[in-house]
Amino acid sequence: MLSYVVRRLLYSVVVLVAASFLVFTFVSVSGDPLAQLRITPNVSEQSKQNVIDRKHLDEPIPVRYWYWVKDAVMNQFGTTLLGDRPILPDLWRVMKNTLQLVLVAELLAVLIAVGIGVYSALRQYSVFDYAATTVSFLGLATPLFWLALMLQVLVVQIYEQTGHRIFPIASLNSVDAGSGIHFVLDRAHHLVLPVVVLMVASVASYSRYMRASMLEVINSDYVRTARAKGLPERRVTMKHAFRNALLPLVTLVALNFGTLLGGVIVTETVFSLDGMGLYFYNALLANDPYPVMAWLMVTATMIIVFNLIADIAYGYLDPRVRYD
Amino acid sequence: MRRRSIALSIWALAIVGSLVVGPAAPAGPERTSAGTIVFIHDQEPPSLRGSWIDNNLLATGLVTNNIWHGGQIYDNTATLQPRLFEAKPKLVKTSPQTVSFRYKASAVWSDGKPVTCADWKATWRVFVNPQFNVVSRAGYEDIRSVTCNGKAGTIVFRTPFAAWESLVSGGVYAAHVIRGKNMNQMFNDSIPVSSGPWKFQSWQKGVQLTLVKNPRFKVGPAMKLDRVVFRFILDTNARFQALKAGEGHVMEPQPQLQIADFLNDNDFKVQRSPEYAFEHIDIQLGPRGHPALKLPYVRQALITGTNRRQISSALYRTIAPGLPTLDSLVFKPFEKALYQRHFRKWGFSQSKVISILKGKGCTGGPDTPSVNNSDIFSCPGVGRLSFRFFTTTGNQLRTLTFEIIQRDLKSVGIELIPRFQTAGTLFGSTLPSSDWDLMMFTYAGGPDSKITSNTLYSCGGDQNYGNYCNPKASAAFNAATRELDPAKRNALLNRGDTQLAVDLPSIPLYVRPKWVISAANLSGPLLNTTSEGTPWNVATWQLK
Repeated sequence: MLSYVVRRLLYSVVVLVAASFLVFTFVSVSGDPLAQLRITPNVSEQSKQNVIDRKHLDEPIPVRYWYWVKDAVMNQFGTTLLGDRPILPDLWRVMKNTLQLVLVAELLAVLIAVGIGVYSALRQYSVFDYAATTVSFLGLATPLFWLALMLQVLVVQIYEQTGHRIFPIASLNSVDAGSGIHFVLDRAHHLVLPVVVLMVASVASYSRYMRASMLEVINSDYVRTARAKGLPERRVTMKHAFRNALLPLVTLVALNFGTLLGGVIVTETVFSLDGMGLYFYNALLANDPYPVMAWLMVTATMIIVFNLIADIAYGYLDPRVRYD
Repeated sequence: MRRRSIALSIWALAIVGSLVVGPAAPAGPERTSAGTIVFIHDQEPPSLRGSWIDNNLLATGLVTNNIWHGGQIYDNTATLQPRLFEAKPKLVKTSPQTVSFRYKASAVWSDGKPVTCADWKATWRVFVNPQFNVVSRAGYEDIRSVTCNGKAGTIVFRTPFAAWESLVSGGVYAAHVIRGKNMNQMFNDSIPVSSGPWKFQSWQKGVQLTLVKNPRFKVGPAMKLDRVVFRFILDTNARFQALKAGEGHVMEPQPQLQIADFLNDNDFKVQRSPEYAFEHIDIQLGPRGHPALKLPYVRQALITGTNRRQISSALYRTIAPGLPTLDSLVFKPFEKALYQRHFRKWGFSQSKVISILKGKGCTGGPDTPSVNNSDIFSCPGVGRLSFRFFTTTGNQLRTLTFEIIQRDLKSVGIELIPRFQTAGTLFGSTLPSSDWDLMMFTYAGGPDSKITSNTLYSCGGDQNYGNYCNPKASAAFNAATRELDPAKRNALLNRGDTQLAVDLPSIPLYVRPKWVISAANLSGPLLNTTSEGTPWNVATWQLK
């Protein structure tokens, strides 16, 4: 197992280096970060030249990439291109915010989806099953940005009709969020709409997987054997079928979680949540390759780590799987 | 297992329940105290240094203008009014240009130290220090010396600088705070002092920035409010919805159709006024542009075939009805005493376009204007009148403008080929390369921007990317930058603009409107079209 993990991590380093070089190149050639300054009257040429010198913008891209690697390793991802602002503190801040959002959304999504999936499988072709299937497809087909906008409009309509703002429209907390438990509750209140939006797609997808997986397991020979032995149905379902049916979902959730930690751009943008997705989006708009690169390294690392976790968890849950 | 599941379910229900029921949902801006107002804005300042190379944003000015307060500030009529200064600064003599000023005795920093000429001098040194990445050194680098005597100061310029009054009147850093510091790293997250009506309290990055009343501000009326909180909501729709949902009191929106929702809403007050930014189409006259554009009659055909009046009315019919066509590249319609409509002579006439082109021997185009026309003119020695039209992608108003112009010109036998690019590529690579035919974008500016029109329209001007060069226009615009008499300067600028209207290096379209939307229960906000922004008179703001 250990040698497998080490081997996977070594492969990952190669992947990270290749991905970082490609992204650095693409962002660097996609536009000029000094563009806006070119249409601003009376901009100081000296100031522009200072930026060019400090970030080696007059060097070829491979040379600039090498300077970035040095900066990233020795200077914690270095600083932003124009403002010379340290990148890491901002990145930590947005990571924490995204983690809160994604963790709550995924946890709730898994709980709800597992319930729906298992019940649908046990009551196959029932009204509930048909309803769950229909709603799932609706959830999968709904564009997240549209859903987010509709929820915002709904909340505003309720506010205009009743004078009560049931959920905040945007941002991470209130003006006076307080501290301690008040802050936590206030943050939770602000995250309700984004969590709902994120959950819709996840619940729809996970519940379909769970249903299919559960159906496969409950029709398998060993479950039939367990029933034939006279075990109570609840025990057959929960102990023999449910645990095995979870296997594909565990993998899916682990992989999805790693990706979501990179930021949920649409949700964070629509709700103006100061998270990884919005950070990446703003850095791209500014044509600043340095925060984009820092974001990429963190996101790619997350995906690699969670891929690994998924593999290990799979082996743990299913003794038939062994890694050489 | 079963007990654990039940416990888990209860916890899950408790979490969901607490999210919905837990925090009370008040009607009115988010649990704020009575003297707090929330200003919703679409951008967050990268730092609080002021006009730095990464930071030349209105968003920064909105916050810092009332911290690094001005000797004079622009009021809502774009007129400079003394604030920290005792009176208007004086032009003592013109050769060498010498200016004097004096701060009020009551002008003090929030830490109790007096605001003096030493602060002005320290600020000047920051702006001329080549290591510091200020966005512009214009004016500061023309200063030979600054002599201080406590609150009073005398500035001697090396070369005449026409925009001296706004330069001298600008906000200054506190000398005792910045002494010996690397300004490229200063005020990234906070500002310890203030000379204005509010002072910095806290900044939750990505969420909000809080300013509180500066009790030591005595040079003008004190703030009636306790706090002003800037909330940064980057998404356009969320911003409008948040204002509607009572999460804020005031915002300065970009031109967006959502503004229309507030026009007839009694809970809000909407103010509108044209600002100094103007939309225009630059014409490339250099070697990399289409050769036909070097011919004056082709440029005349372009402007005559473009229905400029229809563009401004079509774009802004619902949110800014009656927006006038811009007929000058130097002055704006609201600068009534100065604005001369030199481009007015180029009214829209499709039949005139066809007669101009045919009169010059162009062939292959239509005989009469028609929306179904697909025949394109070819002119002697320059080929087909088919031009690459560049503008930014993702801007609905610009896309619509292009469609109107493209249709108008196609009707008279001139073809426009769309080349939409991201702002980064357009302004970073394409514009300076001069490898384009027509380019539509906005020039932003302020009351003094016209003084430096030479950078745009003089031969070899720093930002003359269209390669226009007429010695008559250059002479007028260059002289204007050195002319210290405002009346003579304005006459020079109008002389230059007259020549631009003859040569047509650029087609002015319209001056962009600016809006302020404020909650009806907030009195005081008055739209200010300069970079002072709406909080210029924050002292008078009051919650009813």
